[in-house]
Amino acid sequence: MTSQPAAVRPAPDQYTKPLLIALLSGCLVALALGLYGGLHHPTHYALDIAGFSSPLYAKAWLTTIAVVFAVVQLVTGMRINRPDAPRAMTIVHRWSGRIAILLTVPVIIHCLYALGFQTYSIRVLAHCVLGCIFYGAFVAKMLSLVNRETMPKWVVPVLGGVVFVSLIGLWATSSLWLFATKGVHG
Amino acid sequence: MSRQGPLLTLGSVVVVAGLFLYGNAVAAKPGKTPAAVPTPAATSSAAPASSAPLHALYAGRSSGDQVTIAIAINGKKAAADLNAGLASEVSLQGSVTGNLVTLTSSSGTRLTGSVSGADMFGTVSGFLGQSFPFSAAQAVVQAVYAGRSSNGDVTLAVSTDGDQAVAYVCNGHTIEAWLQGSVKGNQVNLAGNKGASLTGSLSGLAMFGMVTPSAGLSLPFSAELSPHPAGVFQARITVNGLATRIGWAVLPDGTQLGVAVIGSTKQPAPPLDLSDGAFTLDGSTFTAAQVAGNANVVSP
Repeated sequence: MTSQPAAVRPAPDQYTKPLLIALLSGCLVALALGLYGGLHHPTHYALDIAGFSSPLYAKAWLTTIAVVFAVVQLVTGMRINRPDAPRAMTIVHRWSGRIAILLTVPVIIHCLYALGFQTYSIRVLAHCVLGCIFYGAFVAKMLSLVNRETMPKWVVPVLGGVVFVSLIGLWATSSLWLFATKGVHG
Repeated sequence: MSRQGPLLTLGSVVVVAGLFLYGNAVAAKPGKTPAAVPTPAATSSAAPASSAPLHALYAGRSSGDQVTIAIAINGKKAAADLNAGLASEVSLQGSVTGNLVTLTSSSGTRLTGSVSGADMFGTVSGFLGQSFPFSAAQAVVQAVYAGRSSNGDVTLAVSTDGDQAVAYVCNGHTIEAWLQGSVKGNQVNLAGNKGASLTGSLSGLAMFGMVTPSAGLSLPFSAELSPHPAGVFQARITVNGLATRIGWAVLPDGTQLGVAVIGSTKQPAPPLDLSDGAFTLDGSTFTAAQVAGNANVVSP
């Protein structure tokens, strides 16, 4: 934001509390999702999204599109805090993020409602854990943004990085796996 | 606004998630009704014929984990297999009353269970001199039924996945057919090319019916719910430039019968190594894959 980061860095007591609240909320969300996924009895069915050969493919494509928006997030997020960043970049960053996260919602609901937290293979276990981390980090990032003027500069990029990396991991353990084993189609 | 933006984003995600969850809870219908809780009306003789018996499979373990339990329910009939490892398997037969399942074996083993939603809880007594509680969960019915026609001419394997099923039937050299279709209640209806079909009904741990591998040849068959290595196996390869499709029907004892269709000629399939699906044809090694019940095998 400024050429004198040292001067702007707020005293710890200005951001410790909001940051802790944001991080703890994220942890609680991740924990809650994991517990719900583990305790709710999987139904093995859920609402279908029209136009795909199976719910699996609908989810795979939604996640893939979300990943595309997430890459936009990464690219814009890396430049957004530069002094010369155009205003449009901020708008693109925010809206690509909103679209990406909303695209993942039907997917996670299907995951949680129909399948639950499963551990029968490394891929599946990694996917479930990453899913919890993803939403936890997302919530933490949103909450830390509320007080971003007082947050240290690393907070939002780090949380954004966790969101991005976990989404890529989610995509790799589900969509990529599906496309690789069952073929790329609708 | 810049303070509220992230909260609005968060809020909209929560709202959308809530809508989807609500939609799932209210609107989504299961592919099959959780098993065997016949309403009292279903027990009266006035019950309409359309209230087909429910087919459900429960799989679970004893409380000590040593014994695996598979229970199949077909309407008012039920059957189960208890298995504690090599040479200690017991089959039980019995009935379903309301949500209670009672099964017995000729050797005196007795299983009672009660169905509660997608779970079954109960007790086994007199199995290898032991009594123990068990729990079992309704399985998405991914099962293999394997058997033969009554005259022994053809071997078949049926692979089911929920309400879908595929089958391969052949005599090992000249007759073969790929079939696919649906499982509704305890009725299995599969169809293939050139008039091939299979109609079967699930009863306990078996499937009985009529299979027509080619128009004009209808054979009664019986097939048993079969563990590994039983299954439908398929390989699509190219042999000397000719598109080749090989199918195998494998019985639980490892017996396999298959036909290779090379171009348009049929010949006995090469033996399949059931440990890894490998087989050798024309000096080259290939791999066959087990076919799941939801696969497309008729016009892929």
